[in-house]
Amino acid sequence: MSEEHFIVIGNGPAGHHAAATLRLEAPGARITLISKEPHGCYRPHLLPMWISGSIKEEALYVCPVEEYKNMAVKLRSGQKVVALNPGRKELVLDHKEVLRFSGLIIAVGGKPRIPEPLLIFKDVLFTLKTLEDARVWREQIHQVDSVLMMGGDLTSLAVTKALLGLGKKVTFMVNEEAFWPLRWSLSLFEEMSHRLRQKGVEVLADQRVKGITRKGERDCEVQVGRQTVRCGMIGAFFGLTPDVRFLAGSGLRLDRGILVDEYLNTGFKGVYATGDCAQIYHPALRDYWVSVGHDNAVELGRTAALNLVGNTVKAEAAGKCIFEAQGIKINTSWWTEF
Amino acid sequence: MTKVDLTIEICGMSGDGTIAAGGILNEAMSGAGLSVLAFDSYPAEIRGFGRCVTHSRIGDQEMRALSDKTHALISLDDKESQSRTPFLAKEAVVLFDSKPPSYGDEGTSIAAHVEPDARLFGMPFSDLAAAASGSTRGRNLTALGGFAAIFGVPPRHFQEVITKKFKAKGEKVLDANLRSFDAGYRYASEAFKERERPALTLPEPEKEEKVLISGNEAVARAALDAGLKLYFGYPITPATPIMEYLAKTLPERGGRVVQMEDEIASIGAVLGSFFAGKRAMTATSGPGFALMTELITHGVMSETPAVIINAQRGGPATGLPSKTEQSDLHAAVFGGPGDSARIVIAPTNVRECYEFTLMSFQLAERYQTPVIVLTDFFLNNRVERVNIPSASEAQRANWNVYPDESSRGQYERYRVTESGISPRAIPGTEGFLFDATGLEHTEKGRPDYSPENHSKMTEKRHRKIQGALKDLPEPVQFSSGETLDVGVIAWGSTFGSALEAVLTAQREGLKVGALKVMSLFPYHAEVIRAFMKKCKEILIPELNYEGQLANLIGHLHGKDVVRLNRTTGMPMAATLILDKVKGIVGGK
Repeated sequence: MSEEHFIVIGNGPAGHHAAATLRLEAPGARITLISKEPHGCYRPHLLPMWISGSIKEEALYVCPVEEYKNMAVKLRSGQKVVALNPGRKELVLDHKEVLRFSGLIIAVGGKPRIPEPLLIFKDVLFTLKTLEDARVWREQIHQVDSVLMMGGDLTSLAVTKALLGLGKKVTFMVNEEAFWPLRWSLSLFEEMSHRLRQKGVEVLADQRVKGITRKGERDCEVQVGRQTVRCGMIGAFFGLTPDVRFLAGSGLRLDRGILVDEYLNTGFKGVYATGDCAQIYHPALRDYWVSVGHDNAVELGRTAALNLVGNTVKAEAAGKCIFEAQGIKINTSWWTEF
Repeated sequence: MTKVDLTIEICGMSGDGTIAAGGILNEAMSGAGLSVLAFDSYPAEIRGFGRCVTHSRIGDQEMRALSDKTHALISLDDKESQSRTPFLAKEAVVLFDSKPPSYGDEGTSIAAHVEPDARLFGMPFSDLAAAASGSTRGRNLTALGGFAAIFGVPPRHFQEVITKKFKAKGEKVLDANLRSFDAGYRYASEAFKERERPALTLPEPEKEEKVLISGNEAVARAALDAGLKLYFGYPITPATPIMEYLAKTLPERGGRVVQMEDEIASIGAVLGSFFAGKRAMTATSGPGFALMTELITHGVMSETPAVIINAQRGGPATGLPSKTEQSDLHAAVFGGPGDSARIVIAPTNVRECYEFTLMSFQLAERYQTPVIVLTDFFLNNRVERVNIPSASEAQRANWNVYPDESSRGQYERYRVTESGISPRAIPGTEGFLFDATGLEHTEKGRPDYSPENHSKMTEKRHRKIQGALKDLPEPVQFSSGETLDVGVIAWGSTFGSALEAVLTAQREGLKVGALKVMSLFPYHAEVIRAFMKKCKEILIPELNYEGQLANLIGHLHGKDVVRLNRTTGMPMAATLILDKVKGIVGGK
């Protein structure tokens, strides 16, 4: 291949900043950014604020889609990679188009995780990962008075704040699965319960869902322990799981995410993984770590791009990666599992 | 209610069923109560290679012109469809085959060529059609099924059209096509979330009965309604469908369609028929029209009626057989030897194709002259949903001016009258013998080349043609206000684009107006001059290089008119005219 062609899969904060960095570092290279979402890069951490109406949709976007043309980055939105051959340096899109690359950065992020016991209720659970999910929330939320929140990931707290701002009644179920991927900690649980109650949230502690009955279009009856909770919507916030199933059989080393070295390299020359989908090896820990959240994603995206063009930059978590919501502070860096 | 104004293109390779799919789409949308203006562009070659594109503009308002922005592109061949992507509107829907028969390199899919804001709907057309009907041939209908689901059009509108189209081909063929359509509808209904689909709001059914017909069909129907007895023609794009339609229908009404050896024979036979008192017609295009010119002037000289449809295409010579142009105006008005004034009229839409063809027979009879109905590829081939009432008795009436009894035995076929119209006897009428010749002749029809006679008869023939103005459609003005910054004068199919541009400009507060000119020869000079007088600038957009209407009427303005000429082979976009109007208003 005579020309350099870099492909970035995923247009979240990690992918977008990887592409932008590549553009700066490799001005002559052709850059393709593939995103299965049908729009430009947005700031996922602002979605709860958009749901509440405190910001406009335009504020979500990192840049207008026209900007990619100015950046000389070919954005292929609404298109999905279904197979990768890192050895031959080619990938296949859903519509059977084969793209060849000289360098690749995988930044596909994660998808909402729903614990297995709840999978049978999947159809009545509302998750929030993408802009499309947020649109659904915006459409539905104005038609209900109450929301039952399950889980306790970073997004759940921001959504709770948004719902309270809209005057909705919020019931929050907290149990040991709630803080996934963080390990269960009594102090975190107590602090969270306390803060939520202070805000007027009803907290159901250490309870499990036994059944959900849909009574109407926006009316659910949830059996929680011996209690029955009636609500208009049920939100499921159990963190994310890396969206890497399409890489099965590719030859890349996969655990829950893509295993990469401290330089974010997958073991294949010119193939990197970054952001929420990467499990990064730390020689001192002799273990893999992950960092989530917007700022970490941006930092890791840049790092992958720098290394793809020949630098040797070690992956680091962004400096101030403390997520704060409802007065609860959570470190989003250096987790050792998803 | 949401305003519906959607331009849909289907693009494929010859043999993909692109044009057929476009036809079904148009009829289905018409059946759903929407206005339709549609046009196909395809290669000149018969089959096997070349790009076919159908353009359909649908809406809940009258559609005057095609749009230059496509809101939905259905790709039946991604390689060919790539050429259509520059015309996609923002957030356009692109429906394409997501499971082509083989893997392709980068760039082989339409997905590689769209802007990031395009909404991609990939569907396995071929797989779905094969699974549903045992063959991939119905993939065009599978794509239409997807379209119906995505845009929320009830499938019955398509199923009815498919049934109508394939019923005659037997149960098996009909079933395969319906299954292919249904497979696409089901797939898209399930695969694409409802909220991602840009559903159309369909209007209430109209009380007025409308039909979806092409300009060619409108011409043919008008000829039938006019009592056509004989059609003579030689096949040529884009006029052939007129002959095809008449070949099926005219014999049922006691008439005959004869395919002649060429266009010279065709016009000769038409003149012969009219000479004998039978309504006759021929339809051709530029190259055939060129062959007819000598005999057209024979009709002028011998004062014999004829109806000639000239469906213009790109020229000169064989030119661009399947592309549109308005470059035969000079030939229609001036073509041929001598001072051979004849009547030339040009419809601007499908309904006028019907009305003007109907009218042309009466004009030909009353003014004893060839009447040329100047259409163009875009007008002939496009379909519109229009209300075409049956021709009235008055519209069918024979307008021939017969001699009165007092002239029996002393009949002067070319008697000089005040109107220039000499009463015309049909040969064989006892006591009304006359000579008819292409030579200059006396009032009795005898050859006479004297200066006095030639001057007298030339003046008579021209006076007669000028007198026809009172029966010809007057220019129609679309303007507000006594003075205008820009007046747009247009003819033929370009008028629709011009009017759309002018109406848009008027809504934006610009002082502009439009004038529709339908009679190209003779033309209503005083009406045109009056319009020009109230305009600071006159813009004449035309699909030709030379500015043929501007050449014809521009002198009436007293100063140069602004010309806008395009020879792309495609209809002129309203936006192009609008931009030009704004440029003139802004002093650019």
